[in-house]
Amino acid sequence: MRIRFQGRAVLPGRLSGEAIVTRSGFNTLASFYQALLSGSRKAVCSDQDNAELFGRDLKDKIVCLPVSIGSTSAGAAWDRVAHRGIAPKAMLFSQAMDSLTAAGLIIACLWAGKRVVAVDRLGQRFLDEIRDGDEISVREDGTVTIVRIPKTEPCAPSRRRCGARGSGSSGSRAAGRERQGKEALLEAKREKLAEK
Amino acid sequence: MRIQANERERARNRPGHEKAKHVRWRYTAAGLAGMDLTREEKEILCGGKGPALQKVMRTLVWYGQTLGAKRFVDIEGDGHFALSSLLPGTGPRLEMLDELAEAGLKTKYPFTLDPRPPLDFENLDLSPGQERAFARLFSGQSRFEERMRQLGLRDENAFTCTPYFPEVGNIPRRGQVLAWSESSCVIFVNSVLGARTNRNAVIMDLFSNILGKTPLTGLLMEAGRRAGWLIKLKVSKLPDPQLLGGAIGRRVVDGVPFIVGLDRFLGSGLNERTVDYLKDMGAACAAIGAVGLFHAENITPEAVDLGTKLLARRHNVQVIDEIELQELSASYPVMWKKRNARPERCLIGCPHLSLRELRWWTGRISRALRAHGRKRVAVKTTLCAAPQVIARFQAGQNSRKQLGRMGLTLSPTCPEAYMDNPLCAGEAVATDSNKLRAFSTARLSAVDELPDLIASGRIRRGR
Repeated sequence: MRIRFQGRAVLPGRLSGEAIVTRSGFNTLASFYQALLSGSRKAVCSDQDNAELFGRDLKDKIVCLPVSIGSTSAGAAWDRVAHRGIAPKAMLFSQAMDSLTAAGLIIACLWAGKRVVAVDRLGQRFLDEIRDGDEISVREDGTVTIVRIPKTEPCAPSRRRCGARGSGSSGSRAAGRERQGKEALLEAKREKLAEK
Repeated sequence: MRIQANERERARNRPGHEKAKHVRWRYTAAGLAGMDLTREEKEILCGGKGPALQKVMRTLVWYGQTLGAKRFVDIEGDGHFALSSLLPGTGPRLEMLDELAEAGLKTKYPFTLDPRPPLDFENLDLSPGQERAFARLFSGQSRFEERMRQLGLRDENAFTCTPYFPEVGNIPRRGQVLAWSESSCVIFVNSVLGARTNRNAVIMDLFSNILGKTPLTGLLMEAGRRAGWLIKLKVSKLPDPQLLGGAIGRRVVDGVPFIVGLDRFLGSGLNERTVDYLKDMGAACAAIGAVGLFHAENITPEAVDLGTKLLARRHNVQVIDEIELQELSASYPVMWKKRNARPERCLIGCPHLSLRELRWWTGRISRALRAHGRKRVAVKTTLCAAPQVIARFQAGQNSRKQLGRMGLTLSPTCPEAYMDNPLCAGEAVATDSNKLRAFSTARLSAVDELPDLIASGRIRRGR
C-alpha cells in the first residue's frame, strides 16, 4: 500500500528510509545534547519530555514530526549533529518548519557540507497516517510516499490445505513471529532505557 | 536548491554586471518563493564583498525564503546571542568562527553573550575531578572569547542571559528591530519591552548581525504579533511562574498567547516584581514550547495599548486552572539516579536572577535557616546572576557577610552548562527553574518549598 503526500521541499533530496514518529514537538537541543556531549556514534534521543522518542536512536532515521520546540541553541546543535555524521536522514514536518530547525539545517548544509533532507507542510493527515517503522521515500519535489506492506492474514482453517501446499504461508508466519520477537526485544530495550 | 551557482553564473553576476538582476529567481528552491534584494544585497550575494560575507548572505537568503520573508529589514540595536562556549551542542564550531574573523567581519552593533561556562571554580565548590573535567571540556574558552571580541563582543563582562537588566544595560527600545537568540531573552524583550525580534537560532543571530539585516517575517510584523490563543487563568492565588509558563508553552507550542487574569495578582503595568515574574514565566514558556511573544492583559506594553484587539480574529480559547498546574507538576519525571536521594546541590538562577530576586532568595533562605535552627545551609547552593548584578549586590557589605555566614555562593555562570555534562548529570540537583529541569536531570522544586529544602537538606513528602 502506498500513501502519497505533497509538501514543500526546503532542503530537497531523494532518499528512502525508516520512519520514526513523534506527535509532540521535537526539542532539538534536549534530544541531541547527550549524544553530542558523550561523543557517541549514535544519536540516542535524550529528551525526557518526549516519551515517543526518548532513548531511541535517531541516526539515519526519517523523523516525522509536527514542529520543533525548545532552545535557540538548536542552530548550533544541528550543525554539530550533521558535522558528526549522526543526523537523521530527513525531517518531515506536518506543519510549517520553524525558524530554529530551518536555520540549523541550512547552516549544516552550507557550512558543514551535510544535507539533512527537509520537507514541511505535509499536513495533519500525514502525521495521522504515519507509524513507527514505516518505509518512507522522499523525492526532490517534496513528494513523500509511505510504503506499507500489508500484514499477512493467517490462513483460515478451511483454507489450510491450500496453504500447506506451498511454503509461502508458513514462511510468512515465521517471518511474522521473527518480527514480533524483534519488536518485543526493541520494546524491552526502550523500557530499560526509559527506566534508566 | 539551485543555490550553488557555477563559475559561469558567478562571473555573470559579479558586481556591477547587468545580469545581477536575475539573482532573485536563481536563488529560488523548489517550493520556496524568492526574496526581493536591494542592489547592495545582490552585490554581497554575488561575492562582491568577499566569499565569507557571500556565504553569510546565502545562508540568510535561504533562511528568509524558508520563513516566507519577502525582503530584509535593517537591525536597529545591540545584539544578544545564546553563545557562550565551543561546547558541542550549544556552541558553534571554531572553524566557522575562524572563517568569519579571518575575513575581518564584525557585527554592525556590539553584542552580549550568554553566561560563561562553569569555570569560576572558587564559587562553585567542585570536586577536583569536576574541576579537571570542566577545564578540559571548556579548554577552547579563551580562543572562543578572542574570536568573539574580534566579531564585536561588547566587553569582558558581557556574559549573561539577562542582558536587559539595568545593571547590564543592553536594553532594547520598544519597536526596535533586532536579531536576538536565547529563547528566554527573545520572549522577554518581545513581550515585556515591546522590541521586535524573531526566535533566531544560534549562529543565524551572529550572521544577521554581521550583515546588519534580518529577514522581515514572523514577530517583526504586526500580523505575526497577533495572539492566536486566549489563555484564561482560573486560579485563586498567583501561580508559580515556572509551572504557568510550562503549562502555556505546552498548550500553545509556537503560538502567541494573550493571558487574561494575571493582573489580578500582579497589578497593572510593570514593576520590578512583575518584570521578574514575567522573566521566569517567559523562560519556561519558551523552553517547554517555542513561544517567542506573549501578551498579558493590562501588564505588557502592547496589551496595555491595544488590549483584546491583539487577538487574531480566529483564536483558540483555553483555561488554565490550579488542578492542571498540580497535574503538570506531578507529571515531571524525576531524573535522579535515586528518586529519594538527598539533594547534593541546588542551583537557582536560570535565567539569571535580578538584584531584587537575589535579595529575596537570601532573605527567604535566611528565614528558613532560622526556622530549622541552623546557621549554614544543608545543601550546597549557588545563586546565579549577571556579573554586574553580583557586583552591585556585593557592594553592600552586609549582603556579602550574610551570604558567607549562610554558606551560599554567587556565580555568573550558566546552570544549564553546569548540569549538561555526564559528570554533573549524575548529581542530585534541585532547582527552581523549569527550563533547567527540561534540559537536564535537575529536579524542579516549587519556589515556596526550595528554601526549606536548602536549609534542611530534605525534600517534602509527596514531591
